[in-house]
Amino acid sequence: MTDLTADTYLPSEGESGLKRAKRIDRRRMLFWVLPPTLWFFVFMIIPYGMLFYYSLGSVDYVTFTPGLSPANFIKVFTTEPYLGVMLLSAKLGLFTAIFSAIIGYPLAFYLAFHAPETVKRFVYLLVIVPWWASYLVKAYAWKTILGTGGILNTMLIGAGIIDEPLTIFLYNQFSVTLTLVYIFTPFAVLSIYAQLERIPTSLIDAALNAGATRWEVFRKVVFPLSIPGILAGAVITFSLGFGDFVAPVLVGGPSSLMISNIVINLLGVAFDWPMAAAIGLVVITLGLALISVAHYLEHRFQHRL
Amino acid sequence: MSYIDIRKLRKSYGAGLKPAVDGIDLSIDRGEFVTLLGSSGCGKTTTLRCIAGLERPDSGEILLDGKDITYDQPSERDMRMVFQDYALFPNLTIADNVAFGLRLKRYRGRYTPEQVKRRIGEYLDLVHLADHGGKKPHQLSGGQKQRAALARALITEPDIVLFDEPLGSLDANLRKAMQIEIKRIHRQLGKTFIYVTHDQEEAMAMSDRIVVMNGGRILQVASPEEIYAAPNCQFVARFIDRANVLSGIVVSTEGGQTQVRLGDGQILRCEGNGVAAGSTVGVMMRADRINIAGGPVDGMNMLKGMLAERLFLGAKHEFVVDLAGEAGQLNVFEQEMPDGLGGEVMLSVSPQDVRLLAE
Repeated sequence: MTDLTADTYLPSEGESGLKRAKRIDRRRMLFWVLPPTLWFFVFMIIPYGMLFYYSLGSVDYVTFTPGLSPANFIKVFTTEPYLGVMLLSAKLGLFTAIFSAIIGYPLAFYLAFHAPETVKRFVYLLVIVPWWASYLVKAYAWKTILGTGGILNTMLIGAGIIDEPLTIFLYNQFSVTLTLVYIFTPFAVLSIYAQLERIPTSLIDAALNAGATRWEVFRKVVFPLSIPGILAGAVITFSLGFGDFVAPVLVGGPSSLMISNIVINLLGVAFDWPMAAAIGLVVITLGLALISVAHYLEHRFQHRL
Repeated sequence: MSYIDIRKLRKSYGAGLKPAVDGIDLSIDRGEFVTLLGSSGCGKTTTLRCIAGLERPDSGEILLDGKDITYDQPSERDMRMVFQDYALFPNLTIADNVAFGLRLKRYRGRYTPEQVKRRIGEYLDLVHLADHGGKKPHQLSGGQKQRAALARALITEPDIVLFDEPLGSLDANLRKAMQIEIKRIHRQLGKTFIYVTHDQEEAMAMSDRIVVMNGGRILQVASPEEIYAAPNCQFVARFIDRANVLSGIVVSTEGGQTQVRLGDGQILRCEGNGVAAGSTVGVMMRADRINIAGGPVDGMNMLKGMLAERLFLGAKHEFVVDLAGEAGQLNVFEQEMPDGLGGEVMLSVSPQDVRLLAE
């Protein structure tokens, strides 16, 4: 480790003041930069490297053979079900992002502009509290709500709307999306709220004063300025939805198998680590591309508030 | 009946809090330039926001041409505001900011797209921003932003324009230039301007009438000249150009003159009477009306004091003269520099330039 004892700061023979100051700066830099660099290297660079290494190899029964073949990557795009499942995952991820934003926006809006301070704190807490409970528990909860013996069916039968339990609620893309939206909406709420909170009230006053109706204030001022928050939230909810594997297992059916489930199967059941690594890398690359685009858009719509 | 009538306006921002506006009565004529003047927290901005409909008063009423508009929606009022922090929409260009009002439902159909375009040009010209229409607000300087905000407020030709400390965040030279600009536009358009500021110099320079406020109440409403020469209370006297205000006791009133004994025993004669002998009063003297004298001058009040401080102000010098005991200090403006600090000086002031103020 660097030595930060006091005598480090004493000038050595013939050293100019500027040089000494720069030398001290370098030491300080090293002190702060080293730990994150180390962390990044050990937990990011090395795993990515290993992923890449595995993806180029092949497996014979359970024995891994290193190699330099792009075969696995070709398989991702040419062999079913990989590409199809990836697209389905993207679709469900997109649904998650869109519905989370739609559901989260009004709440974020209320919190940012209308809630009194005490209510704001309370609602904020309510948004976060579900995260104290395990994600698994919450996914299970939806199973008991949507199932044939579940609350929804019981209510519908009780109300005389249907005669026998409906099976359309569970084990399909709808139930997976619903569960994902339910679980990840807080991320949309918080990121939209953070953006709305930055909008100066004087802009709203100015719009009202110019003769705008409440709807016009929203459409012409508030909404355009909140787009970066929507995008930031959407990136999070999309990523979480896209990579999820619990909801498909618990409330999904064969039609809603997602890419993470495939990867888990390849790793744990088929022992095809190279294939799993290749899919992982493709997903990561797609994710990077998506985040870059979202980032670019966020900057385009982010104005100095 | 006046154009705008404010009656018993009261507004508090929470139960138990001192009201921000505490029963204000004010009438404003069409085409007037009226300034609400006071230090921060005096209720001037709240009053302005009530007029604009951005705050709902607790009680009282605001009449426009005799019609009660107290609780109308802000968008229903034909008045536009220029905000202290400009409040330009950061997602729109300057031209789109200026045109914001014209493109609202309220004004839809009133102008053809060509007319809208022409008006944007006209109003950008009016505020000298013709070359900046395509820029975003953050690319403009503070003064330019404020001019854009002004154009946005004027473009729908409102009958009333409200200004909430619009020049507060500009530097001194720019502020002066903008004051002249706003005055020019007021003369050119002949609309009613209601202006809020804490800067008494700005208020004096621009207004037809000044409304001096303190603690949510109005202290005095008068023309700048009258407010300067004849403030109606000590607060107004001190607030407007830092008048010298000393307190004293009336010793006698005779022959249209009142004699007041100051804290250090010196006697000051002033024009006017009506205050009973023995009562405590304030006496006001403007710094530019006091002279440093070599010796006694006929018909003038002579005051002795000690020269405590000297400030060079460019066009003049300001001297601070301490009176003996607890009598207080006087500020004196002079062109010439008297002898060194710490010495005794003699001041002369005409009885006509000394005003009696209620305590």
